[in-house]
Amino acid sequence: MAENPSGDLRLVQLSKQFADFTACHPLDLTIPQGSFFALLGPSGCGKTTTLRMIAGLEEPTGGSIFIGDTDITHTKAYRRNVNTVFQSYALFPHMTIIENVAFGLKRRGDKEAMKKAQEALDLVELGHRAKQKPNQLSGGMQQRVALARALVNRPDVLLLDEPLGALDLKLRRQMQIELKRIQLDVGITFVHVTHDQEEAMTMADEVAVMNAGRLEQVGTPTELYDHPASTFVANFLGQSNLLTSRIVGDAGEGLLDVDCHGYPIRIAAAHVPAGVRDVFVGVRPEKLRIGHTGANQLTGTITDDSFTGVSTHYLVQLPWGFEVTVVQPNDGSPRAKVGEKVDISWDPGSEFVLDARQDEDAGLLDEEIRHG
Amino acid sequence: MSSNPDLNSLAFRAALGRGLVSRRTAMLGMAGLGVAALSACGSAGRNQGSNGTATGGASAEDLSDSEKVVNWSNWPEYIDVDDDGNRPSIDAFAAATGIAVNYTEDYNDNDEFYAKVRPLLEAGQDTGRDVWCSTDWMVARLIRQGFVQELDYDNIPNGSNVVDSLSDVEFDPGRKFSLPWQSGFAGIAWNPASTGGKRIESIDQLLNDPAIKGRVTLLTEMRDTVGLILLELGKDITSFTAEDFDEALAVIQDAKDRGQLQGFTGNEYTQPLASGDIAACIAWTGDVVQLQFDNPDLGYALPPKGFTIWSDNFVIPNMAKHKKNAELLINHYYDPEVMAEVAAWVNYIPPVQGTTEALVALDPELAENELIVPTDEVLSRAQVFRGLTDAEESDFTARFQSIVVG
Amino acid sequence: MANMAVAVGGTPAPAARPTRRNWVPYALLLPGLLWLAVFYAAPMFTLGSQSLQEGNVYDGYVLTGNVGIYPEALSEYWPHLLRSLGYAASATIAGLVLAYPLAYYMAQKAGRWKNIMLILVIAPFFTSFLIRTLAWRIILSDGGVVSDIVHTTGLINLLDIMGLTQGGTLLNSKFAVMAGLTYNFLPFMILPLYAALERLDPRLMEAARDLYASGWETFRHVIFPLSLPGVVAGTLLTFIPATGDYINSRLLGNTQTVMIGQVIDSLFLRVLDFPKAAALSFILLVMIVTLVGIYVRRAGTEELV
Repeated sequence: MAENPSGDLRLVQLSKQFADFTACHPLDLTIPQGSFFALLGPSGCGKTTTLRMIAGLEEPTGGSIFIGDTDITHTKAYRRNVNTVFQSYALFPHMTIIENVAFGLKRRGDKEAMKKAQEALDLVELGHRAKQKPNQLSGGMQQRVALARALVNRPDVLLLDEPLGALDLKLRRQMQIELKRIQLDVGITFVHVTHDQEEAMTMADEVAVMNAGRLEQVGTPTELYDHPASTFVANFLGQSNLLTSRIVGDAGEGLLDVDCHGYPIRIAAAHVPAGVRDVFVGVRPEKLRIGHTGANQLTGTITDDSFTGVSTHYLVQLPWGFEVTVVQPNDGSPRAKVGEKVDISWDPGSEFVLDARQDEDAGLLDEEIRHG
Repeated sequence: MSSNPDLNSLAFRAALGRGLVSRRTAMLGMAGLGVAALSACGSAGRNQGSNGTATGGASAEDLSDSEKVVNWSNWPEYIDVDDDGNRPSIDAFAAATGIAVNYTEDYNDNDEFYAKVRPLLEAGQDTGRDVWCSTDWMVARLIRQGFVQELDYDNIPNGSNVVDSLSDVEFDPGRKFSLPWQSGFAGIAWNPASTGGKRIESIDQLLNDPAIKGRVTLLTEMRDTVGLILLELGKDITSFTAEDFDEALAVIQDAKDRGQLQGFTGNEYTQPLASGDIAACIAWTGDVVQLQFDNPDLGYALPPKGFTIWSDNFVIPNMAKHKKNAELLINHYYDPEVMAEVAAWVNYIPPVQGTTEALVALDPELAENELIVPTDEVLSRAQVFRGLTDAEESDFTARFQSIVVG
Repeated sequence: MANMAVAVGGTPAPAARPTRRNWVPYALLLPGLLWLAVFYAAPMFTLGSQSLQEGNVYDGYVLTGNVGIYPEALSEYWPHLLRSLGYAASATIAGLVLAYPLAYYMAQKAGRWKNIMLILVIAPFFTSFLIRTLAWRIILSDGGVVSDIVHTTGLINLLDIMGLTQGGTLLNSKFAVMAGLTYNFLPFMILPLYAALERLDPRLMEAARDLYASGWETFRHVIFPLSLPGVVAGTLLTFIPATGDYINSRLLGNTQTVMIGQVIDSLFLRVLDFPKAAALSFILLVMIVTLVGIYVRRAGTEELV
């Protein structure tokens, strides 16, 4: 950190209140220097507002923003060493590609603006398009120009506001890899705003999940996935089977005895919230197995199956009516049929545990709307 | 050209009121430029009358007896109007004769109106008008070109009521073609608030007094402006020469070069004169009488060395379809009682004998106003600009205008 | 959806369509072309031919091909031509300076007041051009508020020194003519600017700020270049009619501010010298077309950055 004075990006009690609603409740967040950080959440969760406050395009109602030890809360946007890749790209239509990329450098009086711009364009493999106007380029190319235009300035922090939202799926995957590669190359802090959990998990070193103007959870993708702190995170990131259960006793060896609708199961004590008895025991579909290979076992009836090639997705109805999803890898194990009565099992410790005093469907509705 | 304002709109007149848009709104003529310019260049001119000796124009079949209408074009705000917006003297005519009058206020400017009707008259076509009121010099031109018809005095027995001073004029000996509608003087008006209380009573003072420098306007009407200056120079405006005319122009040019003049106006001088932006100017009597209702302090002088008198005259154009009806209309207005009503409203000098007596009965105060009812002594000092030949008219107008817009 | 539309459109007799389609656009052009032919081309031709005739209104005009009238008219009235172009240019620049911030505010900041402001901009058109110009006589007259303000602030001295006014009077001066022209054509400047600025994507301005451009730099490098179509349209809509205007100079000017429109008016209507008037009209036309051509070419191809 000593060799780079810019340092971490820190948000301290940062909040934004609009006339009729609160976009951001006071939030604290530290984004390590040089990391690829994702702000994930459904639309309207406050992630874009947070980003715009960092960019200086929105005045915070309260709190502060630091880069290293420098307070930039009240620094004008054009004086912040922060650049943004906009969702719409916002390329200047009257300028050529290279003029667009050189824009920031020229404003800062860089004598080598055009040369650096050309290098940046080469980096995104668009050097040969330098003299064209933005409307002569495809969406994907424009996206890369926008990236080059921001990156060429070597900002302390690069903000990406849903930069891949307008691209088709294939191109998006390609750009995700590309972005990640570039970030590793340049070593600049990337703050990536997205509503696509897969995108966030693929690319980011760390993800902050936001919901309704608040931070739900911050962590690495694995932490978030394996140990979501709320039903919202559990449902928003991937699929979860939430089994309503009650803790009945200590089983020793770091395990607890749990009653799940009459089935005695065991869970790891380490991740159970303190002082809670009624819990959701969450098991990811791919951690459930058909058959009794795991220590925790339930029985149910298969109501639906779908084969995707790498795996088969089953819906299994448990005796009390609840349906769980099971994903069985295509690893040669025997397949079950609809209507068949099966055992499903998992090993203690591969589950996560949440306080049952919360909405079990949080984070679901948004996802359905998005994918519907 | 730029947008042509709708000059005849009610809003326009309501806004400006009677003071500004009255008889001679030369400025308004500009509105017709687009149309006039195009029609002006469409056809070649023809001189129908040989110089001075008028022959009278072509007539159409007179439909007066079968169509009880007459189409009259006149200047804006140039007739009596009552509080309800009716025109009592016209209504009286219609009631007495059963002839409906289509009264149109589309005569905004002599030149503009001429440009409008000339192509039709030249082509021998009906102008759609049976009678209109042109200023003396325009009447002279119309007679010269054979564009107007001789009046049938059998239909105008009252025609003998025309005042003696106007019964026989140079441009229309014996009044064969025209009869005056209203007359007026051109003199000097000043606003004492703007002259520092000074009275501006002579043309010499108007053009030289440093107290009013840059706040003097002259009229774009050549015969009034040049006429007054010729008189100031001691010339006879009924018989001046081209050299005299040049001398007068030199006086104007000199005043202009010295910065004495603010500009040349049609009768849009009224508002700035009243507000004091113009300190003194050449002005027409009717306008001044109207301005004095609201600004009794406004001064008006008839230059001691003489001044011009002009008239607007009824004429009947060639091919008019209702000539007899038009003559009956003229006859109606040559009844002093009727003319008195008009005079009481428009405040110009009525050209009909006996009007004064009728006016005394109607409005004694007005009847005492020398600008409406001038004394014989005043009338004797009034002069009429002499008639010009075609060549003179072209030449003089061009040279005068080159100073106006130079 | 798109496929369906194609399918439906594609069914009826395809053979008959090409011929029918071909003449429809031309038929649509016809009324406009006729209008132009009758009310533009024909008068232009007549005007051109008129300028080459000799004679007078009483004896008639004969086409003699007297092209000498052009240098004659030019040598006689070049000061008026230059003055007209100068006044029009001043009014155009002043109009641009006044209109731009207003149009920008209306387009980008006014929110729900936008429509009301638009109506207010257009409102003067509900009264006649003449009335509005006459109103300026009252506004600028001695002892009026404007006159008082320029006198108390001493601005009048500056105007006098610049030769825009004389003797401390606002009315009947160069200043008054330019002010009148500026005012009368201001809506023609505001509306195209507004239209251009309204299309301006606010995100582009954010992008500029994000890329280290200060407010001024954002304006210079992003907002202004993107509004150029509006600037070009507005300046043309102001400059062209202002050059030919003759009401403002007549009502607000003095004997030294006569514009070419007044000369043409005088030659056509008073002097009845149609050839010279027509020649002068043509000279004015050619000058304007040339200037506009140069201007549009420059504004169109260069960035002005």
